[in-house]
Amino acid sequence: MIFKIASVDSLIIYFGDEINQEISSKVKNAYKCLKNLNDKGLIEIIPSYTSIFINFDIFKYDFSSLKQKIISSIDLSIKNEINEEIITIDVYYGIEVAFDLENISKQTKLSINEIITLHSNKLYDVYAIGFLPGFAYLGNVDKQIAIPRRSSPRKIIPKGSLAIANTQTAIYPQDSPGGWNIIGKTAMQLFDKNLSTLSPLHVGNKIKFNSITKEKFLAQGGVL
Amino acid sequence: MSLELLNNPLLSLLQDKGRYGYTSIGVTNSGVMDEYAYFMANKMLNNDLHSNTIEISFSNVMFKANKNTILCITGANCEFFINEIPKKNWQTHNIKVGDIIKVGKILSGSRVYLSVSNGFMVKKDFNSNSTTLKENLGGLNGSKLSKGDILSFNSTNAIYTTRLKKEFIPNYEEELELRVVLSSQYEKFSKKEIEKFFSSTYTITNEFNRMGCKLDGESITCDIDGIISEGISFGAIQIPKDGKPIILLKDRQTIGGYPKIGSVLAIDCFKLSQCKALKKVRFKAISLEDASTKLKLFYTSFSS
Repeated sequence: MIFKIASVDSLIIYFGDEINQEISSKVKNAYKCLKNLNDKGLIEIIPSYTSIFINFDIFKYDFSSLKQKIISSIDLSIKNEINEEIITIDVYYGIEVAFDLENISKQTKLSINEIITLHSNKLYDVYAIGFLPGFAYLGNVDKQIAIPRRSSPRKIIPKGSLAIANTQTAIYPQDSPGGWNIIGKTAMQLFDKNLSTLSPLHVGNKIKFNSITKEKFLAQGGVL
Repeated sequence: MSLELLNNPLLSLLQDKGRYGYTSIGVTNSGVMDEYAYFMANKMLNNDLHSNTIEISFSNVMFKANKNTILCITGANCEFFINEIPKKNWQTHNIKVGDIIKVGKILSGSRVYLSVSNGFMVKKDFNSNSTTLKENLGGLNGSKLSKGDILSFNSTNAIYTTRLKKEFIPNYEEELELRVVLSSQYEKFSKKEIEKFFSSTYTITNEFNRMGCKLDGESITCDIDGIISEGISFGAIQIPKDGKPIILLKDRQTIGGYPKIGSVLAIDCFKLSQCKALKKVRFKAISLEDASTKLKLFYTSFSS
């Protein structure tokens, strides 16, 4: 763990400097420990790919005292029993909502069905959440379909669209401009103030996509 | 038991100290842009310091009072009328049923705070009334205030007037020096670039909103193009590829991948929030200890 100053009342802990599962699991492990401290002096804890950002109460901690506290309360050698909840997300991969599937098929020389199978067979990790509320960066996409962002972003990507950019995949929780490749759509709400937790996805979850029919998608309230 | 909005302001938002504890799912902190003006209003009204307020960003907002209350206008220097009679900002006013309250032209500064005794009674969205338009959270329904909106409060009977001493009323025309604590990636900037950053004068651009403030001036080059996305602090100074600094404010994104040279002291971000485009600012490095002492002093000054 490397500790760095982020501002007068925040610090950032680095666990490595590349995006991979090993570093991500260190982040998740430490994030869990920090959450378990239930310390009101830790105002915000933001886990990401390789780091954890902490905004702390300046009347309870300073950079050095918080660093000491974290070093003494997080033992990275002990693997926390992370009970990683698997969340299944139903997705309709039909080309009416998957604007870029045909193009990906051309680029990769894979059939649309092969692409869907490659995408939905994997179990994904939530690496980070940001960009938009409830926008979870999931990895890693199978190398065969890990295609880069579109050269020109779309002005509006509809809410619920499932997308790929390089080795990452994500769902747009609301209508938004964006440059990722759209391969499907879900009716699941990913950011909604009627949900008790605002968003069902958190860093540490595992995500599985389940390919569903158009009828089921519409029955779930999906919009074409 | 309410204030009723009589016109459609360009941007008036219900705000409080902000929404905390949801940044891990991408929900920003939001909250008042100028905490000094906000806390001062609540202090003068003898409110809980975190009572909500209306943040008014452009001229001309009119309300009708449907009950007695005590009201206080702080922040940007603006024309302020009760029943068309000009009144003073930075002091409390007794408001009677039927009074028409008008915030007219904003003369200096850019954000006016209109606060009432005990705040407005509005249901909180995830522990806060702060409105974040892009998240559709807070306020009355996640949106800016509009004509016909009713903001309820408990009626309060008249009290003697509380007035803020002149020396505590900010002058928003003053030069602004932004004090900076160097942060995690500053080593990725050469000594020459850091010197350039602290010796240059920057101009506030039109790209200035509740999310952040983009500056124009000397470009700063970073040794790296970007970083792996990480959490971002209030006041963080991002250096994007064009080298022009962006200071991130209350509605900032929660994670981001631009390198950051440092972080502007919160107290100075509050002052920055009252600035207008074309104003010149400079940066000054301060130590972490110094910054910490100053910030604690800022917050304790309201609690006494």
